[in-house]
Amino acid sequence: MLLQLAWKNLWRNSNRTAITMAAIFFAVLLSVITSSLKTGIFDNLEKNLVSFYAGYIQVHKNGYWEEQILDNSFEVAINNEGKILSTPNVESATPRLESFALASTGNITKGCMVIGIDPEKERKITALQNRITQGRFLTASGEGVIVAEGLLKRLKLKLNDTLVLIGQGYHGTTAAGKYIIIGVVRFGTPALNDKTLFMSLFQAQDLYSAENKITSYVIAIKNTANLNSTSVALKNNLNSNFEVMTWGEMMPEIKQHIQTDSNNMQIVQIILYLLVSFGIFGTLLMMIAERRFEMGMLVAIGMKKKALAFLIFMESILTVLAGCFLGILASIPIVYYLHAYPIRIAGKAAEAYERFGFEPIFPTSLHPNNFISQGIIVCIIGFCLSLYPVYRVLRLNPVEAMRR
Amino acid sequence: MAWRNIWRNKLRSLVIILSVALGLFAGLMVLSIYKGMLRGRVRTVIDSEVSHIQIHDSNFKKDYDPIYIITQSDELIKALKKNQDIKSFSVRSITQGMLSATTGSAGVQINGVLPLEENIVSQLAKKIKIGNGFTDHKKNEILIGKKLAKKLKLKLGGKIVLTITDTSAEIVSGVFRIVSIFESENAPLDEINVYVKKDALDEMLGTTNQIHEIAIRLNSDELLGATVQQIQKQFKQYQIETWEALSPETVLMVDTIDITSYIIIGIILFALAFGIINTMLMAILERTKEIGMMMALGLNKIKLFQLILLETIFLTTIGTPLGLGMAWGLTNYYHQNGLHWESMSKELMSSFGFSTTIYPEFPFEKIGISMCFVMLTAILSCIYPAIKALHLQPVDALRK
Amino acid sequence: MTAQSQTATDIIKKADEKMRGNTSQGLLVIKTIRPTWSREMQVRTWMKGTEYAMILIESPVKEKGIVFLKRKKEVWNWVPTLERAIKLPPSMMTNSWMGTDFTNDDLVKEASVVEDYTHRFVGDTLINQKPCYLIEMIPKPNTAVVWGRLVVSIDKKDFLELYTEFYDEEGVLINIMRASEIKIMDGRLIPTRLEMIPMDKKNQKTEILYKSVLFNRSIEDHYFSIEKMKQFN
Repeated sequence: MLLQLAWKNLWRNSNRTAITMAAIFFAVLLSVITSSLKTGIFDNLEKNLVSFYAGYIQVHKNGYWEEQILDNSFEVAINNEGKILSTPNVESATPRLESFALASTGNITKGCMVIGIDPEKERKITALQNRITQGRFLTASGEGVIVAEGLLKRLKLKLNDTLVLIGQGYHGTTAAGKYIIIGVVRFGTPALNDKTLFMSLFQAQDLYSAENKITSYVIAIKNTANLNSTSVALKNNLNSNFEVMTWGEMMPEIKQHIQTDSNNMQIVQIILYLLVSFGIFGTLLMMIAERRFEMGMLVAIGMKKKALAFLIFMESILTVLAGCFLGILASIPIVYYLHAYPIRIAGKAAEAYERFGFEPIFPTSLHPNNFISQGIIVCIIGFCLSLYPVYRVLRLNPVEAMRR
Repeated sequence: MAWRNIWRNKLRSLVIILSVALGLFAGLMVLSIYKGMLRGRVRTVIDSEVSHIQIHDSNFKKDYDPIYIITQSDELIKALKKNQDIKSFSVRSITQGMLSATTGSAGVQINGVLPLEENIVSQLAKKIKIGNGFTDHKKNEILIGKKLAKKLKLKLGGKIVLTITDTSAEIVSGVFRIVSIFESENAPLDEINVYVKKDALDEMLGTTNQIHEIAIRLNSDELLGATVQQIQKQFKQYQIETWEALSPETVLMVDTIDITSYIIIGIILFALAFGIINTMLMAILERTKEIGMMMALGLNKIKLFQLILLETIFLTTIGTPLGLGMAWGLTNYYHQNGLHWESMSKELMSSFGFSTTIYPEFPFEKIGISMCFVMLTAILSCIYPAIKALHLQPVDALRK
Repeated sequence: MTAQSQTATDIIKKADEKMRGNTSQGLLVIKTIRPTWSREMQVRTWMKGTEYAMILIESPVKEKGIVFLKRKKEVWNWVPTLERAIKLPPSMMTNSWMGTDFTNDDLVKEASVVEDYTHRFVGDTLINQKPCYLIEMIPKPNTAVVWGRLVVSIDKKDFLELYTEFYDEEGVLINIMRASEIKIMDGRLIPTRLEMIPMDKKNQKTEILYKSVLFNRSIEDHYFSIEKMKQFN
C-alpha cells in the first residue's frame, strides 16, 4: 500500500519528480558517455598498437619466445591450423617465418629482420598493404621484397634496386639470396621502420632452407574483451609443443602504458561521480526542504515515522530507477552515433597519429558493460543518497517542521 | 535585495555554492592530475633517457658510423657553457658493436661517457643497482644493464669482450670488466646500452678527444624551444633534436592524454551545468510562494530576472574561491606526498618506463580559463530556471 | 732437451708451430652434431700466419662455392649465388661460425696463444696412453678473449696439443677440445681429428677431420684477396 502511495506522490508533484529524475538521468547519461569514450579510446589505441605487427595472440613452438632462433620453428600442419581456427572467438590466423639476416649492397651491410608472410592472410590481420608508400604489395607466389622506409634509406637504395640477404638458415646452413625491391612500407616506430623487410613465406622458407616451417601464427580475434579466455582455449586445443602468448605477454611495456593511462582516467571518472552525486544530492535536499510542512503534518496526525521514511525512500528508489532506465535508453543512440561518427582530432596530435599510420579518431565503445555498469553505479549512488532524506524523516520534529 | 535573499535560505545557497565550487574543483583537479601524469611520463623520458636536446653531426645518425664526429666541438662547448638556460650537458662517443662472454654474445650500443657529467644529465649513477659505478682505478670498466646481465648470466666483476669497427673500418676488440649493473625504468633500453669511459672507447675507435653526441639538460622544460633556436642559429651544421623528435611514441601518448582530458573537462562542465540547473529549478520551485508574493507586490519581470541572475552571480563568486582553494590544497598535498595507484605492482610498472606515483601539478596557467568557464556555465544554467520563474502567475504561486 | 730446460711457453710455441706452420693448406670435413640432427661440410683452407686465412666450402651443394676471407682485421664473405663480396661487420657476426661450436673468435683468431697468454706447468697427465705436460694458460690483462683460463695437455714426445679445457673466470668449465687420430700429413705428425664439445649442452659437438694438409708451401699475401674469392667459381 505504501508503494502505491509512493507512486501517487510522485505523480502529484510532477515537477519535483521530473527534476530529481532529470538529475539521475543526466548523471547516467554523462557517466555512460564518459565510460564508453574512455573504453573506446583505449581499445582503439590498443588495437592500433597491437595489430600493426604483433597481433593480439601468437602461437609459437614452445620455447621460441625465449630463444628466437630458426631452430625453434615448427612444421606447418593442416590440423594445427584447423584447431586454431576452430577455437571460439578466433577470427583468422596468418603464418610467419621471421629471422635475422644481413642486408647488403656490397658496400653497405645492415642487419635486418626478414619477415616471411602469407600476403593474403596477412592483409586481413595487420593491413600491411595500407602502409605501402611506393611500389606494390607482395603476392604469394611472386618474387621480390618490401623494405621498410628507414632500412631502405640506410642502405641507400630505391624502389626496383636489388639487394642481397645473407644469414644463417635452419640447422646452420647458409642463407643467401638476391631480391628486387618491389615496394616500400612505412612504420611510425623506428624499431620497425629501420629494420624490417617482408617477403612471401615461400621465398623465406627457401632462403632459410626451412621448408614448410614457420616461426609463428599471428591470430586475430573477434571480440577483444575475451582475449584471455581465447588464449586459454587455444592453449587447451593445441598440445604442449606450442606456446600461446597474448600481446600483453609479448609487449608488456606497451600494455603497462595503456593500463596506467586507463587507470588514471578512472580517477577522473570518480571525480565525475562526485559531481553528479552532488547534483542529485542537491535536488534531494531541496525536496526535503520543500516538503517539510507536509511531512511534519503527516507525522503529527499519526503516521509512524518509520512508515513515512519508507515512503520517502520508495519514492526515491522509483525515481532513481526510472531516471537510470531513461538515461541508459537515451545514451544508447548517442554512443552509437559517436561510434559511427567518431570525434576526429586535429592539429599536432593528429600529425602524431598519422605518422604512426593510425587514424586520428576517438571512438566510443559499444560494449554493453559500459551501459550496465554505469547504470548500476549511478543507481547505487542514488540509493545511498536517498538514505539521507530517510535519516531526516526519522529525526523529524513535527512541531518544528510545521512551523512557518 | 539579492544579497539578503541569499542569506535568508542558507541551505539552498550553500548547495549552489558547493556545486559551483565542486565543478571548479573537479575541473582543476582533472587538469592537475593530467598535468602531473604528463610531467611524470615526460620526466622519465627527458631525465633519464634522451635529455632535453641532443646534438649530432648531420650524418652520424644515419648509420652511427664513428667517423662522423662533431666538428668544431670546442666552439660548441664554449657556447653551451655560456648558456644560462643549460643546467648541464654531457659529451659522448658512441658506436655499435658486439659484446661477447663465455655464455654468448649480443649486439649493443656502446656509450663512451664522462662519468661526472653523465650522472647529472642522464642520472646514470642513480640507476646503478649493483656496484659503485666507475672508479679511478681502471680504464676498462663497463656498466651493463640488468636485463642484459640476466640474458647472458653476467655478474659483477665478470669479464667481457667488446668488438667494434674503428674509424679505419677495421675490427677491434677490447676486454672490459663489469663494475656495475644498472636498471632504469626502461628495460628494453637497458638491454641495448652499455657504458664505458669515454677515453677507453675513443682509444679503440681512434677518435681521442672527439665527440659523437652531446646531450643537454635544461634548467626547465619550458626553455626548450628558445634554446634550440639559439643553438641552431649559431651552429647551422649540426643535427639538433628535441626529446619530442627523439621519442615520438611518448609524444603520441602525451597528445592522446591531452585531448582526452579536454573531452573529459567538457563532460564535467556539462555535469556541472545540469547540476546547477537542477538545483536552481528546485530552488525556484521551493520559492514559488515567495516569488508570487514579490510579483504581487509589484516586482516586474525584468527585475525578477535580474534578481535571480544577481543571486546566481553572488553565489558563484563565493563558490569560486572555495573551489580554487580546495583544488589547490588537495593538489599540493598530493604533490608533496604523491598519488599512489595501488592496483598495479610497482615492479611490473617500473620496468616499463614509468613510476607508479603521480605528482599532480596545479595548472596555474589554466585558472583564468577554468574560472571563466565555470562562472559562465553557472550563469547560463540559471537562465532556464529564471525563465520558468518568470512564467509563474502570482495568483497560482500564492495559492500553492 | 730435457723438460726442465724448456719453459711452458716454449712448449706452447712448439705445439702451435706444429699445427700451423708458416702456411698451411688443407682439405677438411666439418661435422656439426646436435641432439636431433647433424650436418657435414667439406672445406678447403689456406692459412698464412695469423693474419690471413681463406676457407672455401666444397660441399654440401647448397653452400658450394661460399668463401670466407680473413685479411688482417677484415672479414669478407663471398656467396656465389649473390655474385657479391660482403664485408662482415663485427656487431652482426653471430657467435657461432656456420652453426658449428666454433666461434668467430676462433676463425678470426685475434689472440695468439704464445704472445697473449702467460704459461706455467701444472703437472703431468696421460691422454690416450701418451704422457703429456699439463700447462695452464692465463690471458694477459689486455687480451680480448672471454676465457678465464685454459688448461692444455701437450704430448711430451711430439708436442701435440691433445686436450684443452676452456674455463670462464669463475672456474666453470665451458668447452673441451679433444684431438686424436694422429697421422703423418706432409711429413708432420699431427692429430687429424678435433672435437669441440660444449659442456652445457647434451649430445652436441663439432668435429673437424683433416683429410689432407700441406705445410709451408709459399702463398703470396695477395692470394688472400677478393678477386681470388671470385675466381674459385
